[in-house]
Amino acid sequence: MTDILFLAWRYLAHYRVKTAILVTSIALIVFLPVGLNVLVGQSAEQLTARAEATPLLVGAKGSPLELVLSSLYFESDVPDDIPWAELEAIADSGLAQPIPLDARFRARAHPIVGTSLEYFDFRGLRLAEGRRMAVVGECMLGARAAADLAVGVGDAVLSSPESLFDLAGVYPLRMRVVGVFAASHTPDDRVVFVDVKTSWIIQGLGHGHQDLAAAGAAAAVLKQEGNLITANASVVQYNEITPENIDSFHFHGDLGEYPLTGVIAVPRDEKSGVLLMGRFERPEVAAQIVRPATVMTELLDTVFTVRAYVVAAIGFAGVGTLATAALVFLLSLRLREREIETIVKIGGSPMRVAAILVSEIVVVLVLGAAFAGVLAVLASRYGSEAIRLWITS
Amino acid sequence: MPVETMVQLSEIEFRYPVGGFALRIPLLEVARGESVAVIGPSGSGKTTLLQLIAGISLPASGTVTTNGTAVNLLDDAARREFRIQNLGLVFQEFELLEYLSVLDNVLLPYRIHPRLTLDSGVRARALALAECVGVSSKLDRKARKLSQGEKQRAAVCRALIAEPRLLLADEPTGNLDPDNKQRVLDILFEQASDSHSTLIVVTHDRDLLDRFERVIDVKEFHADRGKS
Amino acid sequence: MTRRVPILAAAIGLIGLALALACGTGEAEKPPGAEAELRDERLLVFAVAYPLQYFAERIGGDAVVVRFPIPAGIDPAQWSPSAEIVAEYQAADLVLLNGGGYAQWLKRASLPRRRLVDTSAGFPERRLRESGGVEHAHGPEGEHAHAGVAPMTWIDPELAIAQARAITDALIAVRPSAAERFESGFAALERDLRALEHSFAVAAQELGGAPLFFSHPVYPYFIRRYGLNARSLHWEPHEVPTEAMWTDFRAALVEHPARWMLWEAPPEAASEALLESLGVRSRVFDPCAQPSESGDYLERMRRNVEEFETLGVNQPAVSGVQ
Repeated sequence: MTDILFLAWRYLAHYRVKTAILVTSIALIVFLPVGLNVLVGQSAEQLTARAEATPLLVGAKGSPLELVLSSLYFESDVPDDIPWAELEAIADSGLAQPIPLDARFRARAHPIVGTSLEYFDFRGLRLAEGRRMAVVGECMLGARAAADLAVGVGDAVLSSPESLFDLAGVYPLRMRVVGVFAASHTPDDRVVFVDVKTSWIIQGLGHGHQDLAAAGAAAAVLKQEGNLITANASVVQYNEITPENIDSFHFHGDLGEYPLTGVIAVPRDEKSGVLLMGRFERPEVAAQIVRPATVMTELLDTVFTVRAYVVAAIGFAGVGTLATAALVFLLSLRLREREIETIVKIGGSPMRVAAILVSEIVVVLVLGAAFAGVLAVLASRYGSEAIRLWITS
Repeated sequence: MPVETMVQLSEIEFRYPVGGFALRIPLLEVARGESVAVIGPSGSGKTTLLQLIAGISLPASGTVTTNGTAVNLLDDAARREFRIQNLGLVFQEFELLEYLSVLDNVLLPYRIHPRLTLDSGVRARALALAECVGVSSKLDRKARKLSQGEKQRAAVCRALIAEPRLLLADEPTGNLDPDNKQRVLDILFEQASDSHSTLIVVTHDRDLLDRFERVIDVKEFHADRGKS
Repeated sequence: MTRRVPILAAAIGLIGLALALACGTGEAEKPPGAEAELRDERLLVFAVAYPLQYFAERIGGDAVVVRFPIPAGIDPAQWSPSAEIVAEYQAADLVLLNGGGYAQWLKRASLPRRRLVDTSAGFPERRLRESGGVEHAHGPEGEHAHAGVAPMTWIDPELAIAQARAITDALIAVRPSAAERFESGFAALERDLRALEHSFAVAAQELGGAPLFFSHPVYPYFIRRYGLNARSLHWEPHEVPTEAMWTDFRAALVEHPARWMLWEAPPEAASEALLESLGVRSRVFDPCAQPSESGDYLERMRRNVEEFETLGVNQPAVSGVQ
């Protein structure tokens, strides 16, 4: 037996390029469906876990999927705004604890999420370093965001303008990093967290500028009528909030009108959740409430259907690959006729020759399967991470 | 001391599948320890004669007795067994397995036959043979990378590794330069005499004939065309 | 044979390694919130104004620790705590707010919403708009006011009682087991505040509709509560008013012939003398916004009562306007 394996192995080792190609093809054709299943399964698991950990989500009427993707995974387009008053209404109802979300800006590739301290407790995020945000202009980073942006506590993160030619005047804001979270292996790892008020400042809803009543600001004053001072464009606006200028930061208009992209509602109990959902059923309500778990289940059902088709397609490709491999093998037998004859002349039985040839096939198949196994294991370990990176890059 | 017969072909008739050409051998005997050259023009049946003796080809009628065994009466498996235990074969094209090293080619009979056990004694013999024919420095090389002379010497080693009683060589010097021809023949003769083996060599190289004790011309065995 | 074995061995090893890696996932997670259990049994309460701290201490007694970490000598209205102090506020079980925009820094701070208690949320209709705030307009949003509602509700004992009640309810909600303690603390405080209210009412009665000046517009709730005929200035006790301010004051005095000026703190001697020369006596009415060595809220309010009582009893002789 060892002699047979030895001869088979020597042959395969000698024609290593051919062997490598065969092993790789077989590995891939075995791995693709397995890996696809592993990755889809894992991604689904992660998506579902996140959705199930978020009982209710309130947002502007529109695509529930967009709302969920934006509020839970910080992907997709920015949904329409809902006013802060919606959050107040949920709080006042006493049915659920509302957590604001304003996920519309980015710091390079990383989402800037305006929220409140409750979010961190709700998600169970633990600080690895520093403290929680305390005043506007401070931010806290997810582990991956800190690593990617190469910043830590004491450094600063700059919000990216919404677009290069942003005429509405959303200026980049320099935010001080005061805390970095330990990795949670969720989308929170990529986030730059700020207070929702800081997010409003990035939007230009709140701002800080020199004191117009002060003597030095005379040049910036257009007109003054009683208490009303109208400023011209030269008024100095701050793009970083510092202990020196923080007192000049203020918000204009009615807080109740301030925009959010979503509100997580954590109902006190199951019944409160149902009652709260009932409140959004009336047609005059401008907001919608969704159960993220339900929305994700619908999405995943579609994904699983697509996966079934893909696996079937890979199955056909696999048959093709095996046929090709068989052809390669048969052609090599023609080339090896002489060698086989020699072995028989010397005294080898046809059985023995067959055993050597079968061993070659078995070794190739086993190596291919083992390689596929390694790939599958790697995929299960790093695949979802890789998919996330790929999706978010 | 009576002359012991190693090979005896009697009343042999062999027909080729095409062309109506046939060999007819009333009686051919080779004694143990004898060295015989087989000559004849190309296509005259020299290789066929060797294959009959080896039991690779079978006669239509008659008996091939080698080392006391009626080879042509054995079944396939028994003939292979017989070959591996009694014969050393050197082929015209060397027929080394290109993907094996020289050493593994030499040891090949031990790997393809369950009766032969590859032990340290066999390995030692392989090394000694390689030393003897002058390829000991190339044992780890792939057969493909050897020169013609080295390949032929390696093939001779393989033929000798199982210590055959009868050494059959089909034009072992055909592709060699004069120096190598003599060298390979030296080795064959040396090994044959050392182990008191019988040596039958097909050649068309007339310069070498005087080294053999006997020369057989296969033309003697040609049956008349169309007669069969 | 032997030379090619390492490749096979390496391949098998690689597979094994990958499997081992796959099995080694999932580090142990610590349950969150465990540290809260380890903290002091007493509730940690932060306030944004001194009277709220005082009320909470009276109500909570030794069941609470109440902090108002303002540095000495800082006006709470102008105070903007550092991020580090805000972080201390974040750690509180309750943060007592005065509501109505008091403590502007709250608008710039991140605090846990559920632990915030707006002590004036119960009486929005009794809130008064503050006068004199600066409005400005720039950009497309148009004008907006930086002026808010008047802050110092606690000078009105009735509102103070309402705020104390809100604090009591909030404490009970967080620590129901100590409800009895909180209720009895509140009852005692309410008695004291009612007594204050009564004293002020009596003194105001005595005062009748006599015109008064307040040096600063921080007393609107008090003025409203007792229907005082009062005007407020923008004078600082530690600054002597400018000539222009005196001119304005003399003009105002013609329309509003007050004999008393109530100051937030003892005024400069020069100011007091100048007022005296105009027939206006000075009294101090401490708005109690920040902690002081001169006493706690109740002691200081009682002193305010004493000062206020002098207004009606000891009417100064009218010396005429010059």
